Amino acid sequence: MAIKQTSAATPAAVPERHGHKWLLSAPALIILILAASGPLLIVLVYSFLTPGNFGGVVWRFSTEAWFRVFFSRDIFDPEVVSLNHAHLAIFWRSVSLALQTTVICAILGFPTAWFIATRPQHTRAFWLFLITIPFWTNLLIRTFAIQEVIRNQGLINTTLMRLGLTDAPIQMMYTDFAILVGMAYVFLPLMVLPLYAAMDKLDIRLIEAGYDLYASRWQVLRRIVLPLVKPGFVAGSILVFIPSIGAFVTPRVLGGGRNMMLGNLIELQFGQGRNWPLGAALAMTMLVLVVGALIFYIRYVGRTEDAGREHG
Amino acid sequence: MATPAPKPASTPAPGARVTEIEIGALSKTFGRGAQAFRALSDVSVSINRGEFFTLLGPSGCGKTTLLRLIAGFEQPSGGTLRIGGREVAGLGPNQRPVNTVFQNYALFPHMSVAENIGFGLRMQRRPAAERRETVDRMLRLVRMEAMADRRPTQISGGQQQRVALARALAPQPRVLLLDEPLSALDLKLRKEMQSELKRLQLETGITFVFVTHDQEEALTMSDRVAVMSEGRILQTGTPEEIYNRPADRFVADFIGDTNFLDAVVQDITATHAVVRLPGGARLAANLPAGGGTAAGATVTVVIRPEHARLVGDSADGPADEGAVLSGQVERSVFFGTDTHVHLRLSDGTPFVVRRQNTAAATPPPEIGREVSVALAGGAVQVLRN
Repeated sequence: MAIKQTSAATPAAVPERHGHKWLLSAPALIILILAASGPLLIVLVYSFLTPGNFGGVVWRFSTEAWFRVFFSRDIFDPEVVSLNHAHLAIFWRSVSLALQTTVICAILGFPTAWFIATRPQHTRAFWLFLITIPFWTNLLIRTFAIQEVIRNQGLINTTLMRLGLTDAPIQMMYTDFAILVGMAYVFLPLMVLPLYAAMDKLDIRLIEAGYDLYASRWQVLRRIVLPLVKPGFVAGSILVFIPSIGAFVTPRVLGGGRNMMLGNLIELQFGQGRNWPLGAALAMTMLVLVVGALIFYIRYVGRTEDAGREHG
Repeated sequence: MATPAPKPASTPAPGARVTEIEIGALSKTFGRGAQAFRALSDVSVSINRGEFFTLLGPSGCGKTTLLRLIAGFEQPSGGTLRIGGREVAGLGPNQRPVNTVFQNYALFPHMSVAENIGFGLRMQRRPAAERRETVDRMLRLVRMEAMADRRPTQISGGQQQRVALARALAPQPRVLLLDEPLSALDLKLRKEMQSELKRLQLETGITFVFVTHDQEEALTMSDRVAVMSEGRILQTGTPEEIYNRPADRFVADFIGDTNFLDAVVQDITATHAVVRLPGGARLAANLPAGGGTAAGATVTVVIRPEHARLVGDSADGPADEGAVLSGQVERSVFFGTDTHVHLRLSDGTPFVVRRQNTAAATPPPEIGREVSVALAGGAVQVLRN
């Protein structure tokens, strides 16, 4: 009733103001259309064209690029078709490394975020500030810095050898391990920040109530803290997984030529490969992979959440 | 966790009191060095089994700290704390046969009402059948059967309060701690919950330790009250003792309306003294426990407004006898059931007389009139200095 009265009190002004509010989102909309939807459409169109001899495309319709994403033809007899194992291996490595990165970030990010969330209120801004410092430096430079640490003559290996713990350097560069270290380092803040936001809202008395009702530390973590900070995990996982699956600089620098990920494969087609339609088709494939993974994740993880929200 | 089921309706007879919580010289200091804050100093008190015991005091008096020490959320800086005869210092809250009802209830938002109530039993690994049976019984006890599958966000504040109570009672603790559980409710609901709490306490026979800053709540619900200020217990006693025999200026002032007068001790025995009031009248007065005063000393005495009456006021009984004070009427304030007549005594001290309103509706004495005041027997209480 009160609501009706207030809206009746200003009948003319309110609808008029509402009518122009969308204008505020116009700049963002324009950028999205120009920078995201437009190029995406171009990529989609290119994936159905024929590659030019020196890069670029010839405007002739072809599904060959899409075919080549998943299958390869025998060099001598194009009619002999087999699965493109090289591509499938790269798909698998990308998904697997992105998942592993997400898990590592979650495991490292949880205690970090918890540490910040349990500091006195006035010192938290300082700790959050420390988390964001890596963003100040160029990604490439940070990646080369990691290389300096883990390469054969790098910090870790020279230290280990000087201490006499190993005779020969441990090969860490150009392995999946190197890629994981690099990606976990780069994407960790994207996990910590949403987790911290979720923990910040967590009422400390709920934890006390858990202990009061005979829960052990582990039970308090599992039954109270984790379910309540789950929205932070979901947001953080999405933020880490998506850029991980398309990571380009990190696998290139730390993984070398052999440990390619999807981003590198796509780059290869537009560069040395001179097969723009294949690159475009691979890019679209990655998009489908990411969207598919997202839908699966939100559905699966969101399920228990929904049971809770059904009533509220 | 051996928590023997308390036998309902077996409140021990007054003669057979069993101590449930024994607190000896307990103290708690937060921080250290120059920033150290002593929240609790040398608090000693014993709380009986099956008792409704209230910690009463203004905010910051240490009552919540004492409750948190009993619960195990804080560890004491010194002293002893026994629950059911067992020293519990060093034990965590999950190792003590004590449950807490939190000020804002702290219900788990991701669990249903029934899951909240069953949480403690689940953590204790009680069998599923027993858990279901206990949860059902608790739902009936707090009259929330219809809400078992709701989430805490979908029920009202009063209902959340009842769920919080049921959750804390379900594991059948020896002691239930209640941290200002009614402060978030509106007045009408608070009154309802007061009698509800009292009913639950009598039905379960569990020892309740109740923290509040509301003196009326403390007086109406408690078997005994401990009045706290600045980290100390100033006085412990039944509501009647606390109200009628305040030992301390703070206690007298904090609970109810009080008149303070300076008096001189003329004669003294173990429990009583004869004091001379400002007007010159000599009266028998109660001494606080521990005495601590001597003949000739100037002391502060308190007189409750309802223990005084105006002499010659037809509404207040016999007209002739016992006038001990005199003064001038400054104003009268009407409170419905009674009227407060504010006087200025001949020596300048303010004094209030509470005058019961009757159907006859006699008007209070007009402003400026000289009146005499008589006191009921035992109305004068000497305070500790």
